[in-house]
Amino acid sequence: MRIAFAGNPNSGKTTMYNALTGRNEKIGNWGGVTVGSKEFQLKKEFAGDREVIAVDLPGAYSMSPFTPEEGITSEYVRTANPDAIVNIVDATNLSRSLFFTTQLLELGIPVVVALNKTDINEKEGTKIDVAKLSEKLNCPVFETVSTENKGLSEMIAKAISLAGTTQEAPYLQADIDLHDKNAVDAEDRKRYSFVNGIVADVETRKTMSAETTSADKVDGILTNPIAGILVFAVVMWGVFWVSQAWLGPLVADWLVGWIETFQGWVAAQLENSPAILSALLADGIVGGVGAVVGFLPLVMVMYFLIALLEDCGYMARVSAVMDPIFKRVGLSGKSVIPVVIGTGCGIPAIMACRTIRDERERRATSMLTTFIPCGAKIPVIALFAGAFFNGAGWVSTLSYFLGLVLIFLGALLIKGITGYKYRKSFFIMELPKWKAPSLKFAFKSMMERAKAYIIKAATIILICNTVVQIMQTFDWHFQVVEEGAENTSILASIASPFAILLIPLGFGVWQLAAAAITGFIAKENVVGTLAVVYALTSFIDTEELAMTGGANTVAATMGLTSVTALAYLFFNLYTPPCFAAIGAMNSEMKSRGWLWGAIGLQLGTGYTIAFLINQFGTLFTEGHFAAGFVPGLIAEVCMVAAVVLIGKRVRAHFDEQYQLHKASKAAKAAASYIEVLN
Amino acid sequence: MELAYAMNKSAAGAEIKEKSHNAAAGNMTLLDAEPGQTYIIKEINTDDDDMNSFLFRLGCYQGEPITLISKKKKSCIVVIKDGRYNLDKMLSEAIII
Repeated sequence: MRIAFAGNPNSGKTTMYNALTGRNEKIGNWGGVTVGSKEFQLKKEFAGDREVIAVDLPGAYSMSPFTPEEGITSEYVRTANPDAIVNIVDATNLSRSLFFTTQLLELGIPVVVALNKTDINEKEGTKIDVAKLSEKLNCPVFETVSTENKGLSEMIAKAISLAGTTQEAPYLQADIDLHDKNAVDAEDRKRYSFVNGIVADVETRKTMSAETTSADKVDGILTNPIAGILVFAVVMWGVFWVSQAWLGPLVADWLVGWIETFQGWVAAQLENSPAILSALLADGIVGGVGAVVGFLPLVMVMYFLIALLEDCGYMARVSAVMDPIFKRVGLSGKSVIPVVIGTGCGIPAIMACRTIRDERERRATSMLTTFIPCGAKIPVIALFAGAFFNGAGWVSTLSYFLGLVLIFLGALLIKGITGYKYRKSFFIMELPKWKAPSLKFAFKSMMERAKAYIIKAATIILICNTVVQIMQTFDWHFQVVEEGAENTSILASIASPFAILLIPLGFGVWQLAAAAITGFIAKENVVGTLAVVYALTSFIDTEELAMTGGANTVAATMGLTSVTALAYLFFNLYTPPCFAAIGAMNSEMKSRGWLWGAIGLQLGTGYTIAFLINQFGTLFTEGHFAAGFVPGLIAEVCMVAAVVLIGKRVRAHFDEQYQLHKASKAAKAAASYIEVLN
Repeated sequence: MELAYAMNKSAAGAEIKEKSHNAAAGNMTLLDAEPGQTYIIKEINTDDDDMNSFLFRLGCYQGEPITLISKKKKSCIVVIKDGRYNLDKMLSEAIII
């Protein structure tokens, strides 16, 4: 048996779904958090012995989709024949929600209405006559509070018991020609007046929605172009500071101590085993994976804080305040949410682009959002900041800031290449009611992330590290590589050709090339691989990091100066994200051309940034350009030429389309002119 | 350069004309409204059918009340039905009250 959860955006569907299934799907206090359908079995306490599958759907305002994710919902309830529908209605906005409810009731599938967020109504003195509403809608109505598990078991029991029955609709749309816009409009108006009639009958309000409240004053400040952006900058800086400079490292210090003790213990156990085995296990596996896990607290604290931000309702305000700025580069306020989510992980960030209506804007956002360093890149940033810059906080700040700048520049470039289409881009964002963020949810979100991180470390990263360790231990004849002949290893011979390309960037050695390549599998691999290839597992030792001597050793071993280290760090941050994120990009863009454009843009950006930093940094510190300036410059010129060429082709194509468009527009204008004359 | 300037000028001229036309018809958009006041929507004019019907589903259509909570140069916050929304300039100007 399948029960679908449908309702307006931000009515609390996923929160209810999580409560009923025990899952930990992403929730947040804004419309459009869920962008795909998800399903899972109901918990035993709700379903009893029956197997009941709950299907969580993206929010929708009606059966006619406006954005791609709304389409998923109408498509599902129309074609997948669920046995029952739980319609989650935001009780604080009954007048809008019931429009969709009356449409769901027409489908013939039994509907149970969950009047959610009734706790807010209680606070505001809004009363809804549940019995009367149930009678008017001709379906059961239950008051629920998903966040507190209130009313859920009665509601879901009713839905289960009704499964398979047929629903009588209280309001049926007349048989009209659905292609006739005026007829559809007239029908929709009738439906709304039916809904308005119900609301007038069942709802009594103490506080009118239109009254200006203290929350409106806060919103006034947060959406103010100057104050609002300043607040956003401070909030984000605070998140990064707490997670990466204060609380995160504090916990990490303690954890790293434990990992090293464990590594020492493993090494001691292997004392009498062959040296290779000990190297593989203690340095390769425990050391490499440990290097990655050591940064886990930074990522966890960050997730906790971001979850708090997402839960309180701030995201919608950020989106609103950033809209005018993002519009200037051809994006919109909706592009901000993926960017903020992207600080955690690029994959949900790219998926969040689905709420953007305009196709060009949607593709451009999913192409650019990964320029913001994700959680997997935190270990890389933290490692380089620690080893080469004495743990300086500006490295991390600069990484995020530069990411944001690259998003703007990239958006301008895309705008230039695609020949910005003069389609009006409207922006409307619901500002949800503020709510105190739930520490419990934030904690759950953090633990969920920690689990995923550890699983990733124990699988993908472990495997990669082992492979890297084996590849650098043996040569192509499967002979152990002798000391001093490291360049003959399998890894060295594979990575060396790539390393040549990296000479103009200042890090043309096979070890660094290998780390950058494994980074495409998972960005944490950069740290893991560096730890393995340089057998420098202790360079994440926080005590050593505190001393410049330790950092100098690392710097000397890796053969990087602070200039080339920065170039290498940024190269890893701004080249294409991991393969999983590229896959997500592929499914959101639905276009080969755009996907390759995205990969090309990211490769080019990473290369260019590293090139500029290395060459000009060296010029600045040593008075001359670094090695490979001319070949690098040639590569840059080729990239610019490629961009110009692609731009020309796209524009030529666009002009063709536009000509047609112009013709039809001219005809329209002529028609309206004739109308005026008449 | 000169040509571009001339084109800009004529575009600006057209805009002024359009505005005076709006004023003559007594059209007032959301951006001309007073914060805290509730108005009845006269017309929605986005030139975009999908957008119009999306606004409709939110309860933003001809004959329905809309309240302006606050406005800025490039955006405003309104109450439609029982929800608060942030609208950009283009959308605010497309809602005639």
